[in-house]
Amino acid sequence: MKKVVKIGVSLFAMTALWASGAYCAGGPEPAAPAKAKTIKELVARYDSSRCMECHEEAHEQWDNSLHSHSILGTPRTAPTIITAIDKGLKLFPYSGVKEDKDITVESLMFCAKCHLPQLDEATDDVAREIVATIRGWQKASKEGNEDLADELEEKIASLNIGCMVCHNKMAIIHKWADGYAQPDTVYGSQDGDHDDEKFPKMAKAPALGESIFCGQCHGLGPNFELDEPSQCATAYGSYLYAYVAHGGSDSCQECHMHKSGLGHDMQAYNDETMIKMALDVKVEARSLFWRKNKEEGVIPKGIIKVDLYNKTGHVIPDG
Amino acid sequence: MGRGPYEKSGLLAETSLPPMKHVHERFEIPYPFKDGKKQRELINDELVVSVKLWYVPFGEFDGYEVIFFEEEKKIDLKTEWIWR
Repeated sequence: MKKVVKIGVSLFAMTALWASGAYCAGGPEPAAPAKAKTIKELVARYDSSRCMECHEEAHEQWDNSLHSHSILGTPRTAPTIITAIDKGLKLFPYSGVKEDKDITVESLMFCAKCHLPQLDEATDDVAREIVATIRGWQKASKEGNEDLADELEEKIASLNIGCMVCHNKMAIIHKWADGYAQPDTVYGSQDGDHDDEKFPKMAKAPALGESIFCGQCHGLGPNFELDEPSQCATAYGSYLYAYVAHGGSDSCQECHMHKSGLGHDMQAYNDETMIKMALDVKVEARSLFWRKNKEEGVIPKGIIKVDLYNKTGHVIPDG
Repeated sequence: MGRGPYEKSGLLAETSLPPMKHVHERFEIPYPFKDGKKQRELINDELVVSVKLWYVPFGEFDGYEVIFFEEEKKIDLKTEWIWR
């Protein structure tokens, strides 16, 4: 028994050594940054335009993706957030939200966990400013005040999943093993120096090219870690249990970035390429007579048989 | 089809397409016919069937719908047919 325990301990120790520091320049948990007090401050902190000078193609691709306007959405996300507040939060007896002035960062995290994870670096005033901006945009649109609607839409669209959300804030998943993302480092596929004043270092993030990375948002289902779990994206759960477990081996990145040729313009059902990659559909049609019964006699029928085959790594549709 | 992630709680009806699986759908469309006192006759002996696969994210054709597949099939019952 002792031997078994010893072997177990040494295997664990090897795993721990292997996992820590071997791939990644994560480090100790950095001090939390000062809370952003306005949307403008939060947007400036995660501004992707500084990356554009060197990474023009990737930036251009990203700019066309929903990640670049993750709160505005198609633009159905922003109105859905308002619906979640009015038909959810305000009606829930224990949410603490009866009016917009009661909204906090925590109130919005069941949307923002994925649509704006950096909101946890902002004050409750920013959460309320986001809600007020969306309401103002809806009102201006309804009243035909196009200039104001455009201005507010631009403000909402400035809240996004930008470069440094993926390549810094969310870059390292196993923080105890691989360390915490460092505030001066951009995480990707290379180590070394990075020609940027704010982020002078580059480091490899072990999971950035793996499906688990995307699974942080395109997730497993209800966010059970929240006081009010919301049922949202289940793509990674579906990927694990209905695709990988049945022999599938492609990663999210392989299909959505590489095989599609879309790179950082990660698309789904709104893109013709992704639709073609997603499904095989075959249709057979013929005519037959059906001898139904004595009373109703023979019925002439067209018989249409449709065979649908989902070639993706998750259920369709999903988010 | 299931509409986005909303219908994936296990609590609501869900009809999304599973990965790496074939899903078969069968549709039966009667030819139009009229019944006489003693016989039944086809009104039309051709059917043009349009098969469309839509994704309707918000449950309605509100401008956000996306067509995944579309194909037209022509079938006929050209044989002279009278049911007595």
